[in-house]
Amino acid sequence: MDQPANTVNYFITGYVIIFGAMLAYLVSLVVRWHHLRQDEALLTQLEAEKTNPQAGEAKPHQPV
Amino acid sequence: MKATGAVSFWQATLAVLWKDLAAEWRSRELLSAMLVFALLVIFIFNFALELQTQLRASLSAGVLWVTLTFAGTLGLNRSLAVEKDRGCLDGLLLAPVDRAAIYAGKALANWVFMLIVAAIMLPLFGLFYNASLILPGVVLVVLLGSEGYVAVGTLLASMAVQARTRDILLPILLFPVVIPVVVAAVKATGGYLQTLPLEEIRPWLNLLGVYDVIFTSVAFMVFDSILEE
Amino acid sequence: MSTTPRALVAMDVAAGLALAVATGMVFFYAPLERVMGAVQKVFYFHVAAGWVGMLGFGLAAVAGIAYLVTRRSRWDLLGVAAVEIGLVFTLINVVTGMIWARPVWNTWWTWDPRLTTATIMELVYVAYLMLRQGIEDPERRARFGAVYAIVGFLSVPLTFFSIRIFRTIHPVVLGGGDPTVTGAFAMTPRMTQTLMVSLVAFSLLFMALLWHRLRLGELGERVEQLRLKLQS
Repeated sequence: MDQPANTVNYFITGYVIIFGAMLAYLVSLVVRWHHLRQDEALLTQLEAEKTNPQAGEAKPHQPV
Repeated sequence: MKATGAVSFWQATLAVLWKDLAAEWRSRELLSAMLVFALLVIFIFNFALELQTQLRASLSAGVLWVTLTFAGTLGLNRSLAVEKDRGCLDGLLLAPVDRAAIYAGKALANWVFMLIVAAIMLPLFGLFYNASLILPGVVLVVLLGSEGYVAVGTLLASMAVQARTRDILLPILLFPVVIPVVVAAVKATGGYLQTLPLEEIRPWLNLLGVYDVIFTSVAFMVFDSILEE
Repeated sequence: MSTTPRALVAMDVAAGLALAVATGMVFFYAPLERVMGAVQKVFYFHVAAGWVGMLGFGLAAVAGIAYLVTRRSRWDLLGVAAVEIGLVFTLINVVTGMIWARPVWNTWWTWDPRLTTATIMELVYVAYLMLRQGIEDPERRARFGAVYAIVGFLSVPLTFFSIRIFRTIHPVVLGGGDPTVTGAFAMTPRMTQTLMVSLVAFSLLFMALLWHRLRLGELGERVEQLRLKLQS
């Protein structure tokens, strides 16, 4: 066994998977963060309208 | 008689155990379901693996424990779902007893049920496959293995029945955690059936013992926090 | 609007730099192993990912105990965060293990104690997430999660030992004997250095990710409270 076995393909696959998985997790964190941020903004807005109907956003929203 | 606290713990434990046994004596629904299920599993194995009448000892140990494990899940789920549905858990919680006694009583009752199932399965299994399974060693392994199984199983089942997905949750929670018990029990049972020297069986018995001690004590420690509302 | 804390940004940068250095060392500094060739280099991040996985699950068990004692929801958020990151890295660990096993042992999968234990561990924590999903009440979800994190983590060494005894009695046929022999190699100093740097880089990455995930959990909790307040 003078020459090492040619396993470059496995090596590359391995590192693609490692970085791919980490990247996928990062993306999932970012996506979830943005979704929650949107929810938060929407809910605070709704709450503001509920407590003080006139102080709502500029859009034409009629309190029931 | 020692301190009153100790007495009331055992009294409460026995009361819960007695209640379960009496209820089961009247309805027999849990045991009959477990037994029929266990029989069916054995029959399925027979066709799936094309088992010979003279079964290899290592194989029969595996079939036996898989059967007991599956039947046990059925029993555990039922045993705690009944408490949940009839509101018995709430009633027990109102009673001024140690929560650990409730756990001890339920676990003991489940252990008794598992042992009854095993006591019927072992001779039947021997009958079907023309082998003698009732050896002192095998009985010891069944006692140890089912204790560990029931100790974790009762704890996890009492969580599973309170979840929305309770019908499917228990095996998913229980099996990955209980793998060491099943592996050790299968190997120890197989060892006794193959009449291996005790030195080869002892590591498995030790593992079973360690598992039983760890999980029984942990279950006692954390069970309080499952039942508080 | 809460902005990202300075320390967190610093930690992100540190983790990113360390990861870049470790990657560079794996690709250019670490020597090529004589028998196995390039695939042996998967080993560095494979071990580091396994380490982070254990770190995550261990931390989840600690957070579980802390939650049961203090009943502060922050510990529960930490527990989920740690489990989630542990799952990602254990998955990396298992998959890279399989990639390494293919050319070296000539099979994608062996019932090797470590590989098997890692996979069972992965299943334990998938079950943990499923348990949490099935419970709506946040307080009960936290309690049950804590209990299961403790029980699950305790079972990991037992699983490992049971499989290891299993294997010593029944030696692995594939790969011509004990798997630790086939594919074993002596670590040269450069290899050790690369492994150490990888471990440090992954630990930093773990801490940075954990912090981010914790903040995500806190945001989720805030949104949940807002929603409950609006409904009432």
